Amino acid sequence: MTERKNNKTRALRQLLYDQFFQQVPFNVAIIDRDYNIIEANDNFRAYFGEWRDRKCFSVYKKQDKPCSVCTHKEIFKDGRTRVTDTVVADKNGRWAHHIIQSAPIRITPEGPVDFIVEITSVVTDTNLWQQEYNLLFDRVPCYITVIDDEYRIVRANESFRGSFGDVLGQYCYRVYKRRDKKCPRCPAAKTFRDKKIHQSEQKGIDKIGQNIEYVVTTSPLVRGHEPVTHVIEISTDVTRIKKLEKEVLEAERLAAVRQTVAGLAHSIKNILMGLEGGKYMISLGLKKDDRSLIDRGSDMLDRNFDKTTTLVKDFLSFSKGRLPQLKMTNPNNLVNEIIDLYKDIAAMSGIELKANLKPKIASVPLDPDAIHTCLTNLVSNAIDACQMSGQKGSQVVITTRDEKGKLIFEVADNGSGMDYEIKKKIFTTFFTTKGGGGTGLGLLTTRKLVQEHGGKIVVESKKGKGSRFRMEFPKKRLEMLYKESDR
Amino acid sequence: MEKKVLIVEDEPDVGEYLKTVLETEGYLTFLSDDAGKAFETVKEVRPDLICLDIMMPRESGISFYIRLKKNDLLRGIPVVIVSGAIHLGEFDFRAYVPDTSIAPPEQYIEKPIVVEAFLKTVEELTAAGDSAKTRE
Repeated sequence: MTERKNNKTRALRQLLYDQFFQQVPFNVAIIDRDYNIIEANDNFRAYFGEWRDRKCFSVYKKQDKPCSVCTHKEIFKDGRTRVTDTVVADKNGRWAHHIIQSAPIRITPEGPVDFIVEITSVVTDTNLWQQEYNLLFDRVPCYITVIDDEYRIVRANESFRGSFGDVLGQYCYRVYKRRDKKCPRCPAAKTFRDKKIHQSEQKGIDKIGQNIEYVVTTSPLVRGHEPVTHVIEISTDVTRIKKLEKEVLEAERLAAVRQTVAGLAHSIKNILMGLEGGKYMISLGLKKDDRSLIDRGSDMLDRNFDKTTTLVKDFLSFSKGRLPQLKMTNPNNLVNEIIDLYKDIAAMSGIELKANLKPKIASVPLDPDAIHTCLTNLVSNAIDACQMSGQKGSQVVITTRDEKGKLIFEVADNGSGMDYEIKKKIFTTFFTTKGGGGTGLGLLTTRKLVQEHGGKIVVESKKGKGSRFRMEFPKKRLEMLYKESDR
Repeated sequence: MEKKVLIVEDEPDVGEYLKTVLETEGYLTFLSDDAGKAFETVKEVRPDLICLDIMMPRESGISFYIRLKKNDLLRGIPVVIVSGAIHLGEFDFRAYVPDTSIAPPEQYIEKPIVVEAFLKTVEELTAAGDSAKTRE
């Protein structure tokens, strides 16, 4: 009976050796304490070549002495299993990454380690890619999370964990915004619904309570036509960029205020000079008993008091601190309104006023009244410049176009043009080239309105050739202002 | 002989004021509200002094000044700039005229003027013109 059992056990061992040892899809070898390979399966031979009478370092590393750091030596010493990731060469000398799992074998259970059995498997490209993807997922400088259809975070990368903590299993709206309910206009919800990529700007709170602003893109994780079970959220922290943008806008606004104050002072000085002049002439007239001098002085006082009133009125309307009332506006419609308004006036002076409009231009958020005022100022200045030049064939052209993410309005004339000094001054003071006829507030108002839209105004001009005033509105800024005004 | 002063100023009241102040003191004055026309007057009457505004229609005072200083025959005429752009007697001339071969004007006077100080400057500059002529 016992013998029959022993026979069975031997048969099973033989079977294990024949079937398992030989058939496992790995390279298996047994190594003794002198680093000799004493047994190996057929896979091992097929991969590493002839192993009999060779040592492990010769077969694996093609060297004639043991490795400086030897795993086998350590296993013989401490009897513990090892898994190593190392580069070894096959029988043709091709080097590749391998995972080697090595385990001790003892003939007597409590005795020393007699042999080491080890399984070698080549790290395939897929494995390597997987490792690289994992690395990329963790190290890429933006937040990546995967959320399930209950909006729970099931995966989060290192950057995200750094800013928001270890949050697996928590609701994304709780983590990003400390809310108890889903966010309104949630881009992930849209992606779950339509399987499409969505993007939006959001504000959140990080783990230490600081406000952050980020742009989040949501993509579906889906196979074929199955419903979306997970959404991947990739967010870029734009807090610093937003802060810089705000600072730039603020600096531009402050610069405009400083220039406005300087301009106001300049204007007042001229009026004061007129008042002083009137006073001087009256007192001189009294001294000389010259009625005509007194009358001229009195007229001068009247004119300059009137100028003060006009200046104060203009200035108050200019300084009305209001945010632009943005609504989706078609730029071409605005230009057509201006053409209708000024065409006849221009024609009376022999000036042709025409539009050069980009067909099918997209509507953008603008304050139509403000832009109307700007165009009015620029067009009336252009008509004046043409009148001043007195040339025949004068033209004023209003253009609209899209250019590198900017909406452009341009008012060009072939009138008198300006020289360098005037160009430098036109926006910085209450500067007028119209003698007593203008307060010099038109262009300053225009610039202020354009700046309130986050835009800028550029002038190109050549004396005797004409001028070109260009209002540039970055569409991203318009969108940003629109969103802010929406809140 | 009467000293001749050319006033280049587009603001009519300011021009009339300066003209009256100077004529009361016995100067012979010429008033122009346009830099282009004023340049012709300079060539014609060769004033002893020019009172020049900066911001004027068509040609600015700075452009006029540069033309004047580039003209060998007219360069020696002293210029006093009378402008609201001057603050506490200071004016960043080189911001407008970076060309260092063009010398800055003799004097800047801020609007509104103080009559006595203005007359004193005019007197000094027209007298300096005398000594310069004498040296020639």
